[in-house]
Amino acid sequence: MRDVRGDSVKRQLVADHGIEISKVRSIVGFLISSEITADEVASRADDVFADPIIEESATDSLHLENKELFSNSPDMVVTIGFKPGVTDNPGKAALDGFRTIFPNAGGDARVSTYLTYTFEGVPEGVEVEWLAKQLHNGLIERALYSLKGEDFPVIEYAPITPSDYAPPAVVDLEISDEELMKLSEEGLLALNLEEMQTIQAHYRDPEVRAVRAELGLPENAPTDVELECLAQTWSEHCKHKIFAAHIHHVDTETGEDTEIDSLFKTHIMKPTLEMKDEVDWLLSVFHDNSGVIAWDDEWSMCMKAETHNSPSALDPYGGAMTGIVGVNRDILGTGLGARPIANTDVFCFGPPDWEGDLPENLFHPSRVLRGVHAGVRVGGNESGIPTVNGAIVFDDRYIGKPLVYCGTIGMMPRKLPDGRESHIKNPEAGDRVYMVGGRVGYDGIHGATFSSLELTEESPSSAVQIGDPITQKKMLDMILEARDAGLITCITDNGAGGLSSSIGEMAEYTNGCRIDLGKVPLKQEGLSSWEILVSESQERMTVAVRESDVPAFEALADLHEVEATWVADFTDTGQFHVVHGEDTVASLPIEFLHDGVPQLRLESEWKTPTNPDFNPPPNVNHSSLLMRMLARPNIASKETWVRQYDHEVIAQTAVKPFVGVERDGPGDAGLLAPVHGSTHGLVVSNGISPRYSDIDAGAMAAAAVDEAVRNAVCTGVDLSKIAGLDNFCWPDPIESKKTPDGKFKLAQLVRANRELERICRAYFVPCISGKDSMKNDYGTGENKISIPPTLLFSLFGNHHDVRYTTTSDLKPGESLYLVGESKQELGASEISYMLSESGESDGIGGEVPRLPNPEKNLESYKALTKAIQSGIVRTAHDCSEGGIAVAIAEMCIGGRCGAAIDVDGPGEADLWGRLWGESLGRILVGVKQENRAEFLAAMKGQPLTYMGEVTDGDTLSVWDGDDLIIESNVEEMVMAWKGSLDMTGGVQ
Amino acid sequence: MMVETPKVAILFGFGINCDRETAAVFELAGAESERVHVNHFVNGERDLSEFHILAVPGGFSFGDHLGSGRLLGNRMRFAMREQLAAFVAAGKPIIGICNGFQVLVKTGLLPGREVPDFEQRASLTLNNSGRYEDRWVTLEFDPDSPCIWTKGITRIECPVRHGEGRFVMPSTTDLDALNENNQIVTRYVDPTTKPGEGITDETLPFPLCPNGSIRNIAGICDPTGLVFGLMPHPEAAYATFLHPHHTRSEVNEEILAEGMQIFRNAVEYAQANL
Repeated sequence: MRDVRGDSVKRQLVADHGIEISKVRSIVGFLISSEITADEVASRADDVFADPIIEESATDSLHLENKELFSNSPDMVVTIGFKPGVTDNPGKAALDGFRTIFPNAGGDARVSTYLTYTFEGVPEGVEVEWLAKQLHNGLIERALYSLKGEDFPVIEYAPITPSDYAPPAVVDLEISDEELMKLSEEGLLALNLEEMQTIQAHYRDPEVRAVRAELGLPENAPTDVELECLAQTWSEHCKHKIFAAHIHHVDTETGEDTEIDSLFKTHIMKPTLEMKDEVDWLLSVFHDNSGVIAWDDEWSMCMKAETHNSPSALDPYGGAMTGIVGVNRDILGTGLGARPIANTDVFCFGPPDWEGDLPENLFHPSRVLRGVHAGVRVGGNESGIPTVNGAIVFDDRYIGKPLVYCGTIGMMPRKLPDGRESHIKNPEAGDRVYMVGGRVGYDGIHGATFSSLELTEESPSSAVQIGDPITQKKMLDMILEARDAGLITCITDNGAGGLSSSIGEMAEYTNGCRIDLGKVPLKQEGLSSWEILVSESQERMTVAVRESDVPAFEALADLHEVEATWVADFTDTGQFHVVHGEDTVASLPIEFLHDGVPQLRLESEWKTPTNPDFNPPPNVNHSSLLMRMLARPNIASKETWVRQYDHEVIAQTAVKPFVGVERDGPGDAGLLAPVHGSTHGLVVSNGISPRYSDIDAGAMAAAAVDEAVRNAVCTGVDLSKIAGLDNFCWPDPIESKKTPDGKFKLAQLVRANRELERICRAYFVPCISGKDSMKNDYGTGENKISIPPTLLFSLFGNHHDVRYTTTSDLKPGESLYLVGESKQELGASEISYMLSESGESDGIGGEVPRLPNPEKNLESYKALTKAIQSGIVRTAHDCSEGGIAVAIAEMCIGGRCGAAIDVDGPGEADLWGRLWGESLGRILVGVKQENRAEFLAAMKGQPLTYMGEVTDGDTLSVWDGDDLIIESNVEEMVMAWKGSLDMTGGVQ
Repeated sequence: MMVETPKVAILFGFGINCDRETAAVFELAGAESERVHVNHFVNGERDLSEFHILAVPGGFSFGDHLGSGRLLGNRMRFAMREQLAAFVAAGKPIIGICNGFQVLVKTGLLPGREVPDFEQRASLTLNNSGRYEDRWVTLEFDPDSPCIWTKGITRIECPVRHGEGRFVMPSTTDLDALNENNQIVTRYVDPTTKPGEGITDETLPFPLCPNGSIRNIAGICDPTGLVFGLMPHPEAAYATFLHPHHTRSEVNEEILAEGMQIFRNAVEYAQANL
């Protein structure tokens, strides 16, 4: 029998390090502690732990010592197990399976898993310690190893570190400002001086003191429970303080000097609310876990995107997995519970072939890519949610902090069987609050505050967790049944800030709650009150249930084998009241908790950055440039990675990530038909263009919105019903000693917001939900790495009929047209980066793509979508990185056919601009001969240029008037485009 | 016709994922589907005898830890044994798709015996590529198979979405016996071959045979032809617009596609025989 697990390790060592090992084998191990004897276990081992057809099992002995299985003693052996307290999903499942066979295993039965790899034929110079390091992450796993002749490693149970319950402590805040800041920093509270002083002042208020005296709490000082709860609730992560800040903005070039009272309110909320007044389909914006739109009379749709950057930097696999299952919970926690129906994943990494230095504590970008991809793959696939659209973007600066954007779309019936509208939560004082799903542990303490700090070498491991998709899936099944049975009055997820945030936020509806921490089920004993309250342990929802519905709700939980525990009650006392058994451990006024955080006052100053010009060499061979561009990680096919996502579960994906003859051409946007048997569709797309920030973050934001809309237009979206999500990832924009250029970074944010508003208004895309992550830096001083300011714009929209759509692959006999105009905009383009990196150009400077007249773009988008909806256009592809040259090459790849086009057309751009420029608003379209007249009539008055024809041959020819400037063989383009990110080390 | 609208039990819970679309395609084929939680059968609140057809859909039951389908297979093998045996004895069709196929193999219902003995005789293990993949494949069917699910089908295209789909049996003799009984219902074939001439015993290269299955086996049935399991997802090819090439031709007004025939066959069988 082939050892596929071993083979995979072998191939990966070749792909990532060029190391050939003759043979790698794997052994799966289980440590079992129970009432069952070893003999009994051995007799049933093949029923649970091993597959009798393909595996050999042994109990209480090492396979390695079995000469029949291992006739050659391996050169090296590495055994990997989890560290204490880290989620062991296979171990959990194994215990469940063990109990099926041995119901009398005992209440304390435990199963832990480990993996052993054996290596034969290891080349000289490869150290076992190094090998072990490649196979595990020391933050969450431990590795034992041995060399030939040494005793084989024998792993023991991860010791359970005994923890002592510490009763709530009183924190003295009557201290100096320096001491206040020390308290904040050392306690990982991530609060600034003004915020610490606001808390200090709260405990000096005589009225507050009187209330506290009555409750038996220390009158003039917070308990640690209260301080931690405030720190979580007031964290940048939860309160978006930078977006809510008062900003003094100066533009040194125009002389502008203005005050902005909250970027969020000014540029996101206000435009959306004004748009909401004009349409009837915006059901719920901003206040819930995701924004909700009416899709038709029966169904509503919602969408949310989240980032999980810091955890993914420390543990790419676990961090990314909790990212995806976490955003799924945002959907489940929308309204009275929506069902996740599709995921989108957008990642930003350092170059996978990076050969430069790496700062301490950071993984190589290829390892980050593998880990993040695996986490999202497992999280999405095991949850049964298709990944329908996404992107992977590369830039050196993401070595400092990878960006992991996970988005999810949800669907719910607009009315529940009991007549309630599903997008409205309606809890009442007296409702019981249940914690549903997983238990609370040390994992995930301080996630929210940690993500509000920059990464350092000392970043804590407790902030990292591993998701458990199956526990979550069981919970999801159960909650959707409970929703349809009318048992839920309010629901939200436990993400950042844990119970303190989830119950705290829901308590705003009824103006109060009373939580009993003593009731909360724990993974391990000994957690202190504040730890229980703020732990972000995964797979938990908080659900409110009317008392009369309690029996039905608990019965459903039993059926699905989901733990649901009554931990709190809603009240109307105005207090966030926390007890632990008999003792009150915290009481905070709801108003102070949610609205007490002082507004930041920040300084912003804009000065256009200078970049050496993009000045390409005069005589170049554009055909060879095209081959190099197709292999650029930002352009190359991501097929190896994306194909590992299930993009078709639920049987609804009408335009998949892969299109064309060989099903490997790029899909522009995802198109779903979520109601089985119906052709009514939903479009999902994304736009991201971070490098434009090197010239102007405003242009970067405009480009992201336009790209998302353009991609959706390619499917024939219904432009009268599209909604967007703004997801900002920024380097710290607050000026300080460690961020001397904070004013500039904030000015970038101001400009990005202004362009976001301008384009969204012009395209009528309300931003119905969003997120920001504002501390994406690594290190300090000269070695500091800050990411390029990045806006991911995600879009979802209506589609009348999924049969009437296009894909990017060329079809035989089509004529090619360009919708939109090419301008001389090569600044920060992919070609400019490629040629500056190689020294063929001085830099990337020049005009960055802009949208001076978005209303005009919208007109041509409308005309094109109408033509697509009528069925006369079956081919369309948006022009983005690499401009027309790359777009047409990708279309030939999808169609496995040739094309002849002429880029000489209207406008003033030179050949470089027309060929490689990334001007916005452009879409290449293919139209069959018989539909040409109708198409031209439909596009009358729009900027439209005839480009050329699809040919029968296998060559892409690009002409500039009479000059043939590109002549490329399609199969060679396929090889260039698909080769560079393959990274599999070869299949079979 | 004895049953006008056959009732189909669609198992769900514990990480089964494809329950909704599987329920939908049976409804589109003229049956009445009900998603029933595994534990409803285990705890005796419901009984399989209420239904005419059983479907074990795809997914990641119990996360596929300890091998795909094993833990759900065990729940069924130990806690639903009598109900399952009675269901098969009553001549009622069962289908397992993807994870459902893995479950049926690990319960021993496939390749099975005339009278189920719940002994595992084959396995589905990690793809040779070492990767989970979603890609469309071409399937061809044994015209002489007793399988009631695949009557009249020569060739269809639909997606595979699995990491553990390599079908293995302990020996060549076992495979030959399976072949002789025409239990090898469906195999991966090269789409450039003529329909009806694609089947071959020699394992096709990746990705034509996406997982390295012995003899390109994609699906098998039990000796009665009532129990059928396959790795690919015909339910995900229920509609014309789900085919990756649907934009390469004019708009097709017809919605239902070739993947439906498998489900129609079972519904018609139930209508005629139950």
